[in-house]
Amino acid sequence: MSEKSKIRVLIAKPGLDGHDRGAKIIVLGLRDAGMETIYTGLRQTPEKIAQVAIQEDVDVIGLSCLSGAHKYLFPKVVELLKAKGKEDAMVIAGGIIPQNDISFLQEQGIARVFGPGTSIKEIADYIKQHIKKQ
Amino acid sequence: MHEMSSSMVTRLINEMLEGNILSLARLVTLIESEDEATPRIMKSINAHLGKAYRIGITGPIGAGKSTLVERLTSLLRGQEKTVGIICVDPTSPFTGGAVLGDRIRMQKHDLDDGVYIRSMATRGSLGGLPKTIHGVIKLLDAFGKEMVLIETIGVGQTEVDIMQSSDLVIVVLVPEAGDSIQAMKAGLMEIGDIFVVNKADRPGAEDTLNNIKAILKLNAERSNYDIPVVATEAVNNKGIKELYGQIAMKRQLLINNGQFAERRRKQRQSEFIETVINRITSDVINRLTTDAILSRYKEDVENGKLDPFTAANEVYKSIALNGKP
Amino acid sequence: MSEEIEKIKGERKKWEEKVIKPSLDRFGLKESPNRFYCPADLENFDFLTDVGFPGQYPFTAGTYAVIPYRPALRGSMPGGSGLVRAATYSGYGTAEDTRDYYMQMQKLGQRGGPNLAFDLPSQCGYDSSNPMVRGEVGKTGVAVDTLRDFEIIYEPFQGDLNLDRIASNYTINAPANIILAMYFALAEKRGISFDKLRATPQNDILKEFVARGTYIFPPGPSMRMVRDSIVFITKYCPSMNINQLGGYHIRQAGATRAQDLAFSMANLIAYIKEGIRAGLDVDEFVPRFTVNSFGGSMEFFKEIAFQRAARRMWAKILKERFGAKKERTLLLRAGLHANMGNENCTVQRPLNNITRAVVGAIASALSGGMPIVYPPYDEALGLGWSMEASQLAQDGARILQYEAKLTEVLDPLAGSYHIESLTNEIESAAWDDLNKIEAMGGAVVAIENGYMQREIAKGAYERQKRIENGEDLIVGVNCFVGEDELEVMTTRLVPHPYDPEKREKAEEKQIQNLMVVNSIRDNHAVSKLLNDLRVKAKDENENLIPTFIECAKAYVTLQEMCDVLRDIFGEYQPIAL
Repeated sequence: MSEKSKIRVLIAKPGLDGHDRGAKIIVLGLRDAGMETIYTGLRQTPEKIAQVAIQEDVDVIGLSCLSGAHKYLFPKVVELLKAKGKEDAMVIAGGIIPQNDISFLQEQGIARVFGPGTSIKEIADYIKQHIKKQ
Repeated sequence: MHEMSSSMVTRLINEMLEGNILSLARLVTLIESEDEATPRIMKSINAHLGKAYRIGITGPIGAGKSTLVERLTSLLRGQEKTVGIICVDPTSPFTGGAVLGDRIRMQKHDLDDGVYIRSMATRGSLGGLPKTIHGVIKLLDAFGKEMVLIETIGVGQTEVDIMQSSDLVIVVLVPEAGDSIQAMKAGLMEIGDIFVVNKADRPGAEDTLNNIKAILKLNAERSNYDIPVVATEAVNNKGIKELYGQIAMKRQLLINNGQFAERRRKQRQSEFIETVINRITSDVINRLTTDAILSRYKEDVENGKLDPFTAANEVYKSIALNGKP
Repeated sequence: MSEEIEKIKGERKKWEEKVIKPSLDRFGLKESPNRFYCPADLENFDFLTDVGFPGQYPFTAGTYAVIPYRPALRGSMPGGSGLVRAATYSGYGTAEDTRDYYMQMQKLGQRGGPNLAFDLPSQCGYDSSNPMVRGEVGKTGVAVDTLRDFEIIYEPFQGDLNLDRIASNYTINAPANIILAMYFALAEKRGISFDKLRATPQNDILKEFVARGTYIFPPGPSMRMVRDSIVFITKYCPSMNINQLGGYHIRQAGATRAQDLAFSMANLIAYIKEGIRAGLDVDEFVPRFTVNSFGGSMEFFKEIAFQRAARRMWAKILKERFGAKKERTLLLRAGLHANMGNENCTVQRPLNNITRAVVGAIASALSGGMPIVYPPYDEALGLGWSMEASQLAQDGARILQYEAKLTEVLDPLAGSYHIESLTNEIESAAWDDLNKIEAMGGAVVAIENGYMQREIAKGAYERQKRIENGEDLIVGVNCFVGEDELEVMTTRLVPHPYDPEKREKAEEKQIQNLMVVNSIRDNHAVSKLLNDLRVKAKDENENLIPTFIECAKAYVTLQEMCDVLRDIFGEYQPIAL
């Protein structure tokens, strides 16, 4: 990675869930870890998330959902990214996601699910270590 | 960020010219990261430039620029014009990171293929715009966007930067105490082709409008030009049509009086000189470290043995007389 | 009086030099980790002005003077006067699923009315069939699309449990008036007059914009809807509450303690102004305002002081700013009081959350509330409360009340130099924040320009940073972890009151149900009513609730009504961070 490039992260909240405290903390925290974070706010449809990810050429997409609709919404985002040819971004997730759903999500293309209480440092380190280098 | 082969870059450029958004986005990243492929990319797209009309939109935080850009875009799309939007936010000087949150206000256009929105951070640039923005604007131009809107905060040396990269500058203010004074301080009064008082339903709007008109008249050089001041309420979708009307009129006026062409000429000139300077500068700095003789001069100055002026003179003589540029 | 204070100040200085300093030197400390409060910290204290008696202005010591607590039945929460109010927050899947759940609960002896949780599509004004809400139907609560769903949910509530005998609670905000319209329509169908209805809608839209996210329309039109509810309920429903306000969500979203109070008061003021603008007297409608609760934290003494400051501030605002004449108007009627703060539940070593919840319950009991141990310890595990956790919570409350006898004395810390000075401090900080907002033009302006949202995000981030760098200590999370610390776990028997299979199938079923309703109803009448709504919505002075009731009776859907309003009011555009 060249010196002049930055890690670009899209933090998105798919679906209707309105609890954005965690998402906002991550946005600010990743900024302080030296990354450029694009926050698109609440009520993002999977289609919009994919489109923004493509236009902004992000390296990471972080999905947050606390309403239980993650099993439908998260795989949908991954599916749309694939369909539109954006496969180089890492998709990570957070929110209220039961242990039992984690392996399902990972099978669907979510690289890692971060539970409540995960530190910003852990997420930032994970991103830095795992983003794809072509 | 990615190691790109020459053929990959060629592929990206061709795909971008055919309208592929993924490739456009990739190229923007390469330019933004000052990738070594930049000169190649700029050369390849040069023949495709010139059609985009570039509007810079600047003003203090909270003026409602993003909402204004969104409303203007709706209007432009209504006229079937394709739009490229660049939103600029400041990079934190302490951490090097940035929060890019302007496009949240423009989400209405997220799924419109005729609109391309890109968020950029200033990345250490002292002015209001990242130094790579010229290249990014050119990419949007080559891609075929008829209008390119550049939204930025009016701080630092914005006036210099934004004049370098747009055909028309709109300065957006709000009717709060002191705003027009602040704008004057920031040099924004010198560069606006059109002034907007947004949130015009707030108290003091009338006064702010008059203040701005008065200040513009005071500026002798520009008092001859018709610099429109428009009142808008972007959130309520009021005044947007009037603003667009003024933009269209100003655009035509600047073409008619030769200003449009003159500005572009000056911009190309500036860009050329800057590119030359950057090229020379990076080369010299490199040589001061790697060249055995030249790096000695550097050390001597650092150790206090030699004064910088004598050293610089020797270095210049050496490079100008002996070395290739 | 001040002579005495001067003397004490002198003595304090001597004490600091003679007793404190040598100890600090001995321990090698610059500053003492302990503080001590004395009369000098409370110079202008006046009992009658600053504290007063419980149930009397300024209510610092408590909203009520006599609180006959009664043991609560399993699965319900004791109300303000010890009466059992609505049942536990509940609802999921389709209306049938929720109805069946209530039938089950009634078999187990529950006599309370529904305390309805709605799913997100309903809270955001969308029908279950809207492709945009796929995956969300029936998840966080029951899906309500039309009056039919209400009719089904209330099937178990007939006879001596009919609408006029039970209290209903609706955690609904943006479309509150429409949901209430369904409730009213149901009452009409059952021949029950509105003046007999007992219900509480949450109806606190301003906090949605800054902390909870289930908004629909922009702040302006949303306040018009609030006005409609204030006027309608005041006029026709003397036994209903108008709303359930409070900083709970605001604090959970990241606000500081002072901001929790300040932003809540700012919102309260904005709502009061709507009622006044509509021509009502504060004494007519404010007695029907209730408080959900204010946010909580583990800082025991500060939360006690907070509750006292909150009551005093509320009363002051209503008396001094709005000229309320009746005592009843000045009461801060809250369901839940001081608590540990939901977001302080840890996923690590969950049993520690019992200890934390008990601390919160003691704080509540010592500050004019009931000793409610909340939440149950497995809240953070996110899979529903287990029977053990619920039982422990309930027994906790009973132990505090009957064994520790915490409720025998009201406001036992009144007069404490520490608590009184802390109460003053918190109130003063809240006034500072409130005045900032009022100077901007009030809560609505502070929301439109993003001030509240930014402050809350800042607060959340600062707290996270303090946790990550160890400035804020959380036991078992960022301190006292390691190999020699036990992970005490316990098996949980989650009773699955909600059948997970039903929950998964709910979306499909509800979409089918909706299709049936749409095909059976008189669609011609629906069009006419929607046109009528459109015309009335354009007139700022029209109260839309009667129109909503007519629409509800004709089985117009929630989204159909909201879409008309979206057209005319617009949709809320969120602020950038």
